[in-house]
Amino acid sequence: MNPADLPPELADTPPLLLAMRQIAQGPLAAQVRAIDEGHYPRTLMQQLAAAGGMSAHLELPGQSADYGLAIRAMAEVSRVCGSSGFMMWCQAVCGLYLQASGTPALMGPVLQAHVQGQRLGGTGLSNPMKSFAQIESLLLRARPVDGGYKVSGTLPWVSNLGPDHYFGAIAALEGQDGQELMFLLRCDAPGVTLKACPSFSGMEGTGTYAVQLQDLHVGAEDVIAMPARALIGRIRAAFVLLQCGMAVGVTQGAIDSMWAVEAQLGHVNCFLDERPADLQAELDALTARVMTLAKTPFDTRDAFFVEVLDARAHGAELSLRAAQSALLHQGARGYLLSSEVQRRVRESHFVAIVTPAIKHLRKEMARLSAEEMPA
Amino acid sequence: MSPEPETAPQALAGPWQQFICHACGYIYDEAEGDPDSGLAPGTRFADIPDDWSCPLCGVTKADFSLHVQPDLATLQRATPRPCTTSARAGVVVVGAGKAGWQVIENLRAQWPDEPITLVTACAGDVYEKPMLSVAMGRGIDNAALVQRSGTEAASHWRVRLLAHTRALHICTTSKTLRTTHGPVPYTQLVLAHGAQAALPPPLHPALCWRINHLQAYQRFVAALGERPRHVAIVGAGLIGCELANDLALAGHRISLIDLQDRPLGRWPADQAGAPLLAAWSGLPIDFIGAVRLQDLQRSGQQYRLLLDNGQALLADQVVAATGLVTPSALAASAGLAWDNGIAVDPQTMQTSVAGIYALGDCISVNGQASRFIEPIVRQARTLSAALVRASWAGQDLPLPTPYEARVAMVRVKTRSLPLTLQTPLVH
Repeated sequence: MNPADLPPELADTPPLLLAMRQIAQGPLAAQVRAIDEGHYPRTLMQQLAAAGGMSAHLELPGQSADYGLAIRAMAEVSRVCGSSGFMMWCQAVCGLYLQASGTPALMGPVLQAHVQGQRLGGTGLSNPMKSFAQIESLLLRARPVDGGYKVSGTLPWVSNLGPDHYFGAIAALEGQDGQELMFLLRCDAPGVTLKACPSFSGMEGTGTYAVQLQDLHVGAEDVIAMPARALIGRIRAAFVLLQCGMAVGVTQGAIDSMWAVEAQLGHVNCFLDERPADLQAELDALTARVMTLAKTPFDTRDAFFVEVLDARAHGAELSLRAAQSALLHQGARGYLLSSEVQRRVRESHFVAIVTPAIKHLRKEMARLSAEEMPA
Repeated sequence: MSPEPETAPQALAGPWQQFICHACGYIYDEAEGDPDSGLAPGTRFADIPDDWSCPLCGVTKADFSLHVQPDLATLQRATPRPCTTSARAGVVVVGAGKAGWQVIENLRAQWPDEPITLVTACAGDVYEKPMLSVAMGRGIDNAALVQRSGTEAASHWRVRLLAHTRALHICTTSKTLRTTHGPVPYTQLVLAHGAQAALPPPLHPALCWRINHLQAYQRFVAALGERPRHVAIVGAGLIGCELANDLALAGHRISLIDLQDRPLGRWPADQAGAPLLAAWSGLPIDFIGAVRLQDLQRSGQQYRLLLDNGQALLADQVVAATGLVTPSALAASAGLAWDNGIAVDPQTMQTSVAGIYALGDCISVNGQASRFIEPIVRQARTLSAALVRASWAGQDLPLPTPYEARVAMVRVKTRSLPLTLQTPLVH
């Protein structure tokens, strides 16, 4: 695409975002409903990855990491399909683990195939993140053996999975109190079983499975970090920041739906109290805040992380309000089961409850901002 | 010669058009037709049989009209805002110290019905902070320090109290204070969150107490327990001297450490250091002057302090009284002008952002911070008058009396030698 051929309002838009928009509003838009109902869009995910949509935040040959751009790419897709935006996040943080691992095999060919979308992956860190925030305990256990570890246990739901996918996971190390192993869990390895989850209210096409492990062997080549805490401390803000793309996109999609009926229904919708222009102003302010935070994703101070958590919480709250408001603006047509407004209400619920959920975010912010005193 | 190819029906009849269902908003697009109902793509709306019904809601063709997708930019420009006014959010006060409660008392007197929300990291209990420096020597227990619980005071002043809640971020676009218990909308915002202890290294929050609020004081007293202890106090300014005096009167042994060679050394004009040391001669206070704390470590149940003169101390507890700094993150989130504190206009106590006011330890007037009690009452009076006057309710009220930073006398509650010092707030 030659930037000179673009209309002036798009000329400043980074090519990656134009590519995302083209896929999102074209082939993805045609599949949104099928994805919501259970179709895993493998080809589309690979297309989005190949276009660079899940790797703008990575340091690659000829490319410096740009978290802001990565978040905007996810927002562009989430605006059309929240499920796809979420799967982009899964793939993106998995790429982050691979790059941050320091393990040559993972940083080399595995990461390369990952970035190009030849291989897809996810993240099983919901449970460990809650464990580190003192909300629940670790579900996987690792036992050191010759040449690696044996890992057992069950993770209840992990997304963007398929028979040949992989994801980053963390297990408590037996006999080493408080130490954890972070590793790449390959879904096709012996000892791994993917079990279908019960039906969710939406986002059914996200390749979400319960993962059962029985003595899975993890060799040194698949170790991401041992012990894992230092790496988690380093990437925790980046992990949460990237999720903001989903919130921003789902909110923007909801605002779009409000404007879509303004010509016909503006005369009554003006009696509603959350109007699209107000929500847009709030979203723009939030996006600006996220873009500022995205400049220093590896700031490890607690004060910075609290800022990131709050921006993420704001995104979740705003997407709930915007989706709800879009329903009120659209009225009966938004109440049709087939309406995108209905789907987006469910997507916004997901943004609010996926780890870290609003309640987790608030608890963690309270914990991290409490004044420290002598014991 | 072959005949002219037939002109496409589209060209004959103009571009494809769209028709919208009045009942459900379904849009019939002539280009797409409605194959499920037997209308092939390219079926003109005019050619649809009259018994056709809307595939979504079932109304008939007569309930459709031509739909022209409006230009979004034009639509957005034409949309008036705001069309409705949501319920008044009211005043939100951040901080339940003297400054916060004083503002609430003043506002309530002028404004009986305005919703007021108090957001505070503590329980909101009402107490006199200066008492924390004299309570032990006088044998005042923790419960007696609290004049009124936060819940009681909130009910008395008809305030919604969000206790144990951190203010995190101010979103000026949506006029919302973001907190650890969710977003709190405001019409006007009053920042009264005070200052916090400055902890120059090697002082670390997990290793030393800061007696800057009631909860910290209560936990410190609990940590001391019943027996006399050895307490190291770092910093011999007003607070350090008051605490040293008070803890010594209560039977604890004190090591009072300062960079200066005498207590109250930063108030040289008053020459109070030597008389104070003389007055302390009968108390277990060991003043160690002209030294810098070099290292602070836990050592079993105690703390080991290493001074730069080579001296090492073992203390049961360590108190830092090394001055205050104003936290800046909340102010920065709203883009408030900052000048050694939140800069306010003394005419109104308003910050650089309309609708956001501030008072107490967190502000500065002409670059001067003030960390004393006396100005707070006058600041609160100016602030409340200005805030009400700027609101919908107070357009006819007189201008508030501006706040004036004055030279004030500060009583140092060193019971062995009560002192009065002149505040350095002189222009």
